[in-house]
Parts: sequence; structure tokens; C-alpha cells
Amino acid sequence: MTRYVMVVDQSRCIGCQSCTVACRTWNDLPLDIIYNPVVSEGTKGTFPEVYRTWTPTQCMHCANPECVPCCPTGASQQDDDGTVWVDYAKCMGCKVCVNACPYGMRDVSHVVPRFDQYVRKCTFCRDRRAADPAAEPYCVATCHQRARVFGDIDDPNSEVSKLINTTHTERLFTELGTDPQIYYIPEMGGGAR
Amino acid sequence: MKHHYWEAPIVIYLFLGGLGGGIFFLASVFDLIVAPGAGPLFFAPVFFALAALALGCFFLVFELGQPPVFWRVFTTKTAIIKWGAVLLTVAMICGFVWWASYLPLLGWQWAAGLAGLLAPVRSLMIGLAGVAGFGIMVYTGVMLSTLKAHAFWATPALPVLFTVSALSTACAAIALSLGGAVDAAGLGLLVEELIREIVHEVDIVLVIAEIVVLLVMVLSFYGAGNVTAQKVAARWVRGRTAPLFWGGMVGGGLLLPLALYLAGAGTAASEVVAPILVLCGGLLLRYLCVYSDERAPIPGEERYYERLKSSDTRFMTAWKQGENKY
Repeated sequence: MTRYVMVVDQSRCIGCQSCTVACRTWNDLPLDIIYNPVVSEGTKGTFPEVYRTWTPTQCMHCANPECVPCCPTGASQQDDDGTVWVDYAKCMGCKVCVNACPYGMRDVSHVVPRFDQYVRKCTFCRDRRAADPAAEPYCVATCHQRARVFGDIDDPNSEVSKLINTTHTERLFTELGTDPQIYYIPEMGGGAR
Repeated sequence: MKHHYWEAPIVIYLFLGGLGGGIFFLASVFDLIVAPGAGPLFFAPVFFALAALALGCFFLVFELGQPPVFWRVFTTKTAIIKWGAVLLTVAMICGFVWWASYLPLLGWQWAAGLAGLLAPVRSLMIGLAGVAGFGIMVYTGVMLSTLKAHAFWATPALPVLFTVSALSTACAAIALSLGGAVDAAGLGLLVEELIREIVHEVDIVLVIAEIVVLLVMVLSFYGAGNVTAQKVAARWVRGRTAPLFWGGMVGGGLLLPLALYLAGAGTAASEVVAPILVLCGGLLLRYLCVYSDERAPIPGEERYYERLKSSDTRFMTAWKQGENKY
């Protein structure tokens, strides 16, 4: 069975925010919504031994998402391939899923009319993949550093499977039991096993 | 970092929901078990419970992104909010039927026929409303405590605290409105005084219990919570929220009414001022909790959003005001 995941190689990310811009463009997002901010803790270390890492973020498309069962309207859903998405036609904007997400990756725009607000989030470009099953999410296709890799973890020959099986990867807030499906290859210590 | 999406309407909803649910629960306990036949004395309290729940639902719907489709809340089985909405609906319908069966108390003889029709189901209705009311009291706390993204909410102590507070505010509201629509005399007056005394004693116990649960929750977070919860607790104990917490919540909302209950029994201070303070304390508790919505940040996330805000404020403001100059 297909199970989509993303591997983010922090040693490749240069913090150019191209993925952020690409996502905003593809999804035609309101000004105050960002699906995939690329964050950084700033420069670390002591001169001249200094370094900086970037963490491209987005919805973690958790295998055990907090945001789906709490939705009272059934708008928040998960496909069989693991994609977590919001059916805008069902959402009533109660924001309980926004409060449930431990990663803060859901949002409601406040620049749209007051009574026409619904919850938005990354869908691994579900619409783009529906039109072309071979297509990657737009942030992945845009990343010129190949820092974002998208694929099926259940396919042993996929690039994501090979990366996850041969490289040290980390995931965010696993202690919450959400089983996030974005795997980070850390800037330091991401070498092959 | 702040993860703030629910505003004041949710605070009011949680307060009014707990208050209304608590009144229904206590009214059913008194009407069915403690003092059978005391229903007319609870005519006014149940009216206030209905008004509180209706107003609470209004604020809940108002806070939605799309209020006209609020009915979608009933469409799934798993969501706790759906069960809250069901409990609210059951409590309001059953409570209204019970209340309508006593309408002639207002001197409205035109309602006598309707009241006669509804009288046989009074016990059933107040029983159902009481069970649903208990559910609402617990639900308001459980709803927040299941959102484990928020370290300060995700504790079993929160539903206990909200339930105790809801019962306490319900006692206060009953003390203020008991017998409001009837001119009790003789045995009726005796029953009213008895209920008033019981509610008074029960509220003393509840206020003490609330102080204990509140302090245990906040101080245990302060001493042994995770980083995020500890930060929030520190804000409550000795930070920006401390004056509201110690002065408003603990002092004005719990200790002062407790002192008035104990020292001023039988006076206006005990029968009017203390219940009003308890009600204000209940509202303040919801406010403090709902606005303690910090979650653990992804490393670098705070820095990202802080920079975004400071550099883009003028741009965002212009956009939000509809000028769209850019």
C-alpha cells in the first residue's frame, strides 16, 4: 500500500525559502497563511567555528494525527496514502483542529471575510497529484537543492525508503505519539549508517 | 510559543456552559432527590440556566469561521465537540420543557393548558437535563484537556477544576435566584431556606476544593511541568498574569467569597456579594486558562514569526484594513 512521506535533508537546505514561495503560489494562499515556513535558530557556535541550520517545516501528515478525530464535521480527513487534508465544503471554522495540531501547521486566514473562514493546511499537493499521479508536491519540485524528497515509504526502491533506511533521520515531537511522517536528516550527524 | 486562536467568545461559552450545566444538574438533584416537589423554587434558576446556555451557544457559533453552517457540528461520531453540542441541545430542550411546565407561576393563565400537558414529564425532563448538564460541566474541561498540543491544558486536573468551578458557580447562581418566581410561604418558605442553606454549605466545600485543585495544578506545573507548561505556570505564579491569578482568581474569586460565606452567614455579604464574586471568579478562571494556550515551538519557529511580524506589520495592517495598496 502507498504511504507518502517526505525526507528533508537539512544539510542541503540553504534557507532560500523557494519552497515557501512555491507553495504560496500553487495554493494561492492568503497573505497571512504559510504552509511550509523554513525556520532557523540562527547562527550557532563560536567564531570561526560557526554554522547555521535550516528546518523546512510543513504539516507532518502524521500516521496518528491529532487533528482528524477531533474534527466535529468530518472536514479534517486522512487518505489511505496518509495524506491529511481538509474538505473545505465541510469545514465550519471551529478551529479545534488548529488547536489540536502540536506542530502549529494549520491556520485560519484573517484577511478573508469574517464569516467565510475555514481551516487550511498543506495537503502534499493533493490536487496536483490528482491531476498527475507522478507529480511531486510543488515545494519538492521547486527545491533546487533537492533538500526535500517525497515518495512512498512502503516502496523499498523509493528514494525516501532508501534514505530513511540508510541514514540517520529524526522526527519532531515523537513523544506525543503522533507518528509524524516528515523525516529530517540533521545538518550535523546525518551521515550514512 | 503562543498558539492563540480561540478568543473571548470561547471564554464566555465555556463559563456559561459550565454555569448552565451546573444549574441543571443541581436543580435535578434537588427536585428529584433532596427536596421532591421543590421544582417551582427552581423556576428562576432554570430560566437563568437556559439563558446561559443559549447565550453560550450564541458566542460559540459567533466564534466559528462560518456561523451559518454551525449544524455541521452534529455530523461526526468521534469528535468531543459533537458530544458537547448534543449535551447542550438535550439540556436546553429538556430544561425548556420542564420550565414551560411551570409557566403559570408567572401568572400566565394562557399557558395553563400547555403546562398541564407537560406536567407528567417534568421528572423525566429535569432528570435528562440534569444528566446532560453534568456532561456539559465535565465536557468543557475535557475538551481543552484533550488538546495535548497545549501543555497547560493537557492535564486531567483541568476537567476536575472546570467541573468543580461549574458546580460552584451554579451554587452561586442558585443562591442568587432561588425562589425568584414564587411567593413562598409556610412550608414552601421552609423548604426554600433549607435548600438555600444546603447550597451555601455545598458552595463552601466547592470553593475550598477549587482552591486545592487550582493550586495543585498550577504549582505542580510550576515545579515539575515540561518546559512549556512550566513557562505558563511561571507567568501565572510570578509573571504578567500573577496579579490576575493571585489577586483576581485566588483572592477575589475564591478566598474573599469563602471568607464572606464563613464570616458573614445570613448577611447580604454572604448571600449576594459572595455569590457574585464566585461567578466573576469562574469567568476569570476560563479566561486565564483559554489564554494560556502556549505550545512547544519547533526549534527556530518563534524567531521566524517574531521577525515576520516586526518587519511586515505595516504591510499586513494595510492589507487587513482593505486598502490593498500593494
